[in-house]
Amino acid sequence: MKPFKNIICIFLTLVGLSSCGSDDNNLTSDPFVVAFETLSGNLGEIQANENINLIYSQTAKNNGAFTISINVENAVYGIDFTTEPAAIDGKITLQINEGSSNNAFLFNKLNPNLDETTQITFTVTNIDYPNAEIRGNTSHVLNSEAALGGSIQPEVGGPNEQFQVYVDLSGKTFTKVQRDAWDLAFFSQDEFRVGINGAIYMAAAELQETNIDNITQADVEDLMPQVAVGTFDPANEIYIDYPDGDINRTAIEEINLDDDQNKVYLVNLGYEVGTESPTNGSVAVAGDARGWRKLKILRTGDAYILQYANLNDTSHQEITINKSAGFNATFFSFNTNSVVNVEPEAGRWDINFTVFTNIIDGAGSYGYSDGVLHNRKGGVTAYSVTKDQYTYENFNTSNVIANNFKMDQLVIGASWRDVMNEEKVLVNNIFYIIKDSNGNVYKLKFTALLNDNGQRGYPEFKYELLK
Amino acid sequence: MTRKYIIYFTTLIVTTSLFAQREVLKDSSKVEKLDQVVVTGQHNPQSVGKSVFEVKVISRNDIERQAGNNLADVLSNTLNLNVTPNTSTGKSGVSLFGLDSQYFKVLVDNVPIINEEGMGNNTDLTLINLDDVERIEIVEGAMGVQYGANAVSGIINVITKKSSKKDWEISTYIQEETVGDEYELFNKGRHIQSIKLGHNFTENLYANAVFSRNDFAGFWNDRFGEKYDRNDGLRGYEWLPKLQQNTKMLLSYQKNDFAIFYRFDYLNETIEHYNELVDVNENPATGTTRPIAQDEIFTNNRFYHHLNATGSLLKKVNYNISVSYQEQTKDLERYTYIIRENKKENVEEGEYQQRSAFFSRGTFSNLINSKSVSLQTGFELTNERGSGSAVAVVITPGEEKITQNLENYDFFASSEITLSDRFSFCPGARVSFSNLFDTQFIGSLSAKQILNNGWELRAILGSANRTPNYDELYTYFVDVNHNVQGNPELLPEKGLSAFLHIKKHSSFNDGKIRIKNKLSFNYLGLDDRIELIVVQQNPLQFQYSNIDSYRAIGAFTEKEIFFGNFNVQLGASLQGISKVLETRNNNEDYLFNLQLNANFGYTLPKWNTTFSAFIKYISEQQQFVEKTNDAGEQVFETGKTDGYNWMDVTISKSFFNGSFVATVGSRNIFDVTSVNTTAFDGGTHNGPGAQIPLGYGRSYFLKLMYNLKL
Repeated sequence: MKPFKNIICIFLTLVGLSSCGSDDNNLTSDPFVVAFETLSGNLGEIQANENINLIYSQTAKNNGAFTISINVENAVYGIDFTTEPAAIDGKITLQINEGSSNNAFLFNKLNPNLDETTQITFTVTNIDYPNAEIRGNTSHVLNSEAALGGSIQPEVGGPNEQFQVYVDLSGKTFTKVQRDAWDLAFFSQDEFRVGINGAIYMAAAELQETNIDNITQADVEDLMPQVAVGTFDPANEIYIDYPDGDINRTAIEEINLDDDQNKVYLVNLGYEVGTESPTNGSVAVAGDARGWRKLKILRTGDAYILQYANLNDTSHQEITINKSAGFNATFFSFNTNSVVNVEPEAGRWDINFTVFTNIIDGAGSYGYSDGVLHNRKGGVTAYSVTKDQYTYENFNTSNVIANNFKMDQLVIGASWRDVMNEEKVLVNNIFYIIKDSNGNVYKLKFTALLNDNGQRGYPEFKYELLK
Repeated sequence: MTRKYIIYFTTLIVTTSLFAQREVLKDSSKVEKLDQVVVTGQHNPQSVGKSVFEVKVISRNDIERQAGNNLADVLSNTLNLNVTPNTSTGKSGVSLFGLDSQYFKVLVDNVPIINEEGMGNNTDLTLINLDDVERIEIVEGAMGVQYGANAVSGIINVITKKSSKKDWEISTYIQEETVGDEYELFNKGRHIQSIKLGHNFTENLYANAVFSRNDFAGFWNDRFGEKYDRNDGLRGYEWLPKLQQNTKMLLSYQKNDFAIFYRFDYLNETIEHYNELVDVNENPATGTTRPIAQDEIFTNNRFYHHLNATGSLLKKVNYNISVSYQEQTKDLERYTYIIRENKKENVEEGEYQQRSAFFSRGTFSNLINSKSVSLQTGFELTNERGSGSAVAVVITPGEEKITQNLENYDFFASSEITLSDRFSFCPGARVSFSNLFDTQFIGSLSAKQILNNGWELRAILGSANRTPNYDELYTYFVDVNHNVQGNPELLPEKGLSAFLHIKKHSSFNDGKIRIKNKLSFNYLGLDDRIELIVVQQNPLQFQYSNIDSYRAIGAFTEKEIFFGNFNVQLGASLQGISKVLETRNNNEDYLFNLQLNANFGYTLPKWNTTFSAFIKYISEQQQFVEKTNDAGEQVFETGKTDGYNWMDVTISKSFFNGSFVATVGSRNIFDVTSVNTTAFDGGTHNGPGAQIPLGYGRSYFLKLMYNLKL
């Protein structure tokens, strides 16, 4: 009957009688929520006191109040700990002030010797505010176990993605490193292996020469255009470290005990971090080209010797590089000509937000942005789950399939976003299961790729310990 | 339901008609005159029959019969010409002989009309309002000698009204249209209001003014518009809503054989693009969302000034000189829309694309005092400035915009040599000096032979070039993985067309039945065609180059029959297209496509009522496209685009001596929304097809017009 209505509308409109418009605004607002900023805190790491933060789902338009109840195991309020404001009958009441968007109370640790048996749980039990609902992070646990999860915005740096951010899920800590702060990674494992920095699109080609001083630019002139990322030549895969993170498949061959077996390498230093401001949604990760070096690596005892020089130099510099126990690698920078600190200890990070070099079948190496690589060398494994199997919310420990965990550090990679079209979007139907080196299993889902302005390089994810 | 709908409409019309006064038929709905005066490509205004060029005319009457508000409304039923709407930009272009709007020039009173992407070409047909238009002249084929660059596939010359026999003329109308089956007072459908005033101040001085408002509320289809907060691809519109407001003024003075007019046109258009992608903006801590979307609003402002003088020097040489200044600026407002709070954040405003041009054209005819030879010389100069922002054109990051200043100084001459009453021919040439390109020479040659028994033969050779666009000249997309670059050294593409028209006029039964028959053969070739090609394999690098060529050949026939109150036009066209891609090993065979059209008009004088139907059929179209085969190799295959039918029907009735006219009708009776196609490069050979949007389905309109003539 719709056409009839339309025609009648047309006529009524013409006669100036009618208003056939309808109100299409059928949006329903979310309720007002007060929730803990994080799900858990480590009791052992609290020195004397710590703020426990709460956030509102929206800036408060009215005044109100909410109540938090405290549940304690193996500790006593007033003896082992107190709160400010103080709890009355095991409950803290906090005011909601118009115009504010968060709140907090103070946790005072009176007994420095609380052990693993102690667990203090704060729970939002009542919100006195119009259209309020208790949901989200309704409670916050203080104990000595791995973090329960939360939401993290790694500071990748916006559309230039200038930082590599190493995230420890269980400790909820992150380490930020300028992406071009290092060039070579001398691995600390038993093998003598050296990686190049894929985050700045480096490439390295083995030459037949074994004496570094014999190589000049003229010798490699023809080779240079091929030794690069993104040339669309499938044969260029041999010039990069294999994207899955296997240290046995690096561009540089295993370092031989016999010095004469170690070849000279032509190294493309990739690109400086970009500084341009691209249009919204795009990235500008690569800046000026950083040039070329020739290098040769030798072994001495349990250490490496790096020989390096500019292409036309007839002499070279040499530096001894030791393996770093407890770390995946020792890092060297041509900018400072020295060893630099990059990664946290091998057991203290799980995933790394970084630009990286990938391979596209049939097209060779290809520079990617928005990468998330898990710590393969540190023993972290992961697998992905799509929404048609489970939703993130419903996935629990019983759904974990032990055989699915993979070493390939590209399990997450760039699969969480789609930037092929003009509109850059999150892939909505995928989340990840990650097992850290201590056996903690987390589910993890990305919640943002862009900031509110539509700019790239502002990732955000939520995660939760499965137990 | 549909049938009911039509019956309802018809009944309504019939009943209104029955109760209406029986008035004498006025000229507003009279059958079209056989021989119309045209100006396009002519030395002096003359009748279609005398013209050396083959000029098609869409008269005011035709425009009224279709209730056409802008050019896009009236061209969809023309043979060979296809209107191509772009649902993502809101613009409507033209496709003629397989070539897009870049090759087609739109003029208003012989002066190319500007838009943000071109001067005459790349015209958005919906921006050309027809409320003060007397007729539309269409010429197919290259018209470079007469109208300069980019008149490759053809031209449209919109001729505005510059005089009136009445002292006062006031005309106003409202037009209400459904968009598909969507209609509401404000939020859905199409709503047009227009008012026109004309006055003769003295017997020499005439002025008119038009204000027109065209509110297209968008095609929602199954989408939910701006205020929708779910990320399921249903936010926004299928066709973008836009609002156009157009103000036009004309001042015209005429005495003896001297005439001068000044015409002004200001257009303002707003196009709203609500992003279908919603960022739900989840707050994991509170488990709540705050959905946002990145929205865009485009605003177009066009100013047009045109001063024209015609007369004769020394009572002999006719001159026609136009001076025009035009500019169009398209601005973009981008912002983050906080959907539930109805709030804009991060608002960024700036210029998107802009063009301005000073244009002058002058012709001097009857330079030779001879009956058998007429000579016309002319000049055309254009000083055009354009710019494209980094949002509109992919340019070096960090650069805000690209600008271009194009100066053209053209001189042309053509001569009409009449060897006998029956045979005349017309050679022409143009030389074009430019600050950006080498001097271009183009020529034309046409001939007309009149045979016995109403047969006429016309042969027309024409040429024209297309100037490279900003993408082709200035694109710069270079990063680690890509290297795609524009080429500032590009030359204009060279176009050449040849037409042969055979016409026969017959008249039977003492002129009660008149028939016009036409059979035409056409050829159109393009060389130095610009294409993005691989200029280096390793590392892979792309650049635009003048490399390919393009051929269209075909034949078409048109028949017009006038019989009493009947007027029938029938047309058929078979066009073949061949593309030569120099860097790829493609198939250069011609692929053919058939078009049929039919227009019917019937006037019932007793009822002051005209019934019209406009029908067009377009057959399946084929095109060679590059796909990946099962072995993973790139191969050329025949891609297909489905055929479709288009039909509009209108009934127009005038009351009270023609002072009140009601037109009702239905556009797109066959309810076409889109056609399926596999004719696109990329994908695998049996991969999924795509859809080309053509219309928003069957729609209905009612137009009520009031005319006051004093």
